[in-house]
Amino acid sequence: MGSEILFFFEVLVGGLLAGTMYSLVALGFVLIYKASATFNFAQGAMVFFAVLSFVGFMELGLPFFLAFLVTIGLMVVVGLSTERLVLRPLMNQSEDTLLMATIGLGYVLEGLAQAAWGVEVRRLDLGIPDFPIMFIADSIGIFISALDLTAGAVAAFMVISLAVLFTQTKIGLGLRAVADDPGAASSIGIPLKHIMLLVWSAAGVVALVAGCLWGARAGVQFALVDLALKALPVLIIGGFSSIPGAIVGGLIIGSTEKVLEVYIGPFFGGAIEGWAPYVLAVFFLLKRPEGLFGEKIIRRV
Amino acid sequence: MSNQNSYENILEIKNIEVVYDDVILAISDVSLNVPDGSIVALLGGNGAGKSTTLKSVSTMLASERGKVTKGSITYNGQRVEKLNPSDMVNLGLVQVLEGRRCFGHLTVEENVISGAYTRKLSKSEINSELERMYNYFPRLKERRKSQAGFTSGGEQQMIAVARAMMAKPKMLLLDEPSMGLAPQLVEEIFVIVKELNDKEGVSILLAEQNTNIALRNSDYGYIIETGQVMLDGSAKSLLNDDKVKEFYLGISSEGRKNFRDVLKETKKNKG
Repeated sequence: MGSEILFFFEVLVGGLLAGTMYSLVALGFVLIYKASATFNFAQGAMVFFAVLSFVGFMELGLPFFLAFLVTIGLMVVVGLSTERLVLRPLMNQSEDTLLMATIGLGYVLEGLAQAAWGVEVRRLDLGIPDFPIMFIADSIGIFISALDLTAGAVAAFMVISLAVLFTQTKIGLGLRAVADDPGAASSIGIPLKHIMLLVWSAAGVVALVAGCLWGARAGVQFALVDLALKALPVLIIGGFSSIPGAIVGGLIIGSTEKVLEVYIGPFFGGAIEGWAPYVLAVFFLLKRPEGLFGEKIIRRV
Repeated sequence: MSNQNSYENILEIKNIEVVYDDVILAISDVSLNVPDGSIVALLGGNGAGKSTTLKSVSTMLASERGKVTKGSITYNGQRVEKLNPSDMVNLGLVQVLEGRRCFGHLTVEENVISGAYTRKLSKSEINSELERMYNYFPRLKERRKSQAGFTSGGEQQMIAVARAMMAKPKMLLLDEPSMGLAPQLVEEIFVIVKELNDKEGVSILLAEQNTNIALRNSDYGYIIETGQVMLDGSAKSLLNDDKVKEFYLGISSEGRKNFRDVLKETKKNKG
């Protein structure tokens, strides 16, 4: 009996920690959504592009830390060119136009990444084993992977720093103002260019971190692009514009998909974690379309 | 001493023509001056070109695919053609856009603070600036923690003006501050605008459809129609001008008139 409860908790904790990885990817989406009210379909490609470049730089002989910094620089360049070549010419166009542009941008990034670094699957070794931590296993009897635990800690760190950036700094205020009304923001002198550059760079860094954690588990490969789209149900549940929403949404998706897989999966012949999150998302769309933490659409009559 | 920067007119618009999307002519010939420290009203109906004139000054036209194709705009001795909105704010010219345009998801206080974005202020300086604004707009202080999107139209107009004033402008462009507000609130807002002009020394160019209240609170007025200045003069002389009275204030020599009366009369005359 006791061992069954322990097993349940093990599945749950594993799911929650895996969920933090979804949260990380979702964070990248939220950043851009908050500043430009656009769902950035290129976020998955950015994850792939970032981590593939990171691994590529390491293969070229750069040490881990240096390669990480160079990749951050590269992601800022990507942000800069996106602002310059895509966003600025499309300024004041409808959100749909921007959405289509991000889909195109995604393909460009995927293509660039593979053209530069090749198509084969790489291994990324962060030096953190994807094995249970014996210390925890011995004392509580739950098997938790060290990689999962690290991912959770990293995600928590990123979330706290972004939340501070958004709510406590002048730049954050500017970001939120631009998200609400770019025209009014520019009328009081907030430079839209800088804000966009900053947001896309930040989203690039988040993509790199998420890519590293995913890549360490699943290998650095093209499938990361699709994996990143798991952020979609996360965002529907959490709310597109909410950082806490991305976190809680990720945790909900991570834990339910693992628990459902283990307990209900067998009745469906397994592998339900691929689609169960989307069922959950549809349920949310019907009951609470703005998500758990999303900003209510304000409409004065 | 040769360059004192003390221009008599803070704003000079000379014969501008404005075209949207390269084809739509919005303004064909507008010239106007705003003397430093004064309130000037730009009057006219829908589509007369009031907003377009203001936006060509604040350089917000570009974001709406509009362009000044002829003439010149000089603000504080400097041509504005090559500048962008954030340059203009740095030079001390801020526009309050038509329809308030508050940041709906930000609190009232965050909205007001956001106006100081271009200034390098410490936290305590921001707080003292904030208090200064709350003195003009005590209502906003009461609602400081509310989400701006849920405040009333009048409060939103106050937020928009206070937000613009946080940039410590030399000149404000107000686009239809009376839009969609109850007459009492309009009065309240114009009293504050006048007070800001008096105490802060900010020059104001305001676009209005509400000719009466605008002229009562300005020094000078321009009336534009279909992109051209039709009439200009001191606010007092315009208020007493027969044509202005009849067309814009609804008062004729026979007393107060409304649009329905004018229609009836034309019918009678025809019959």
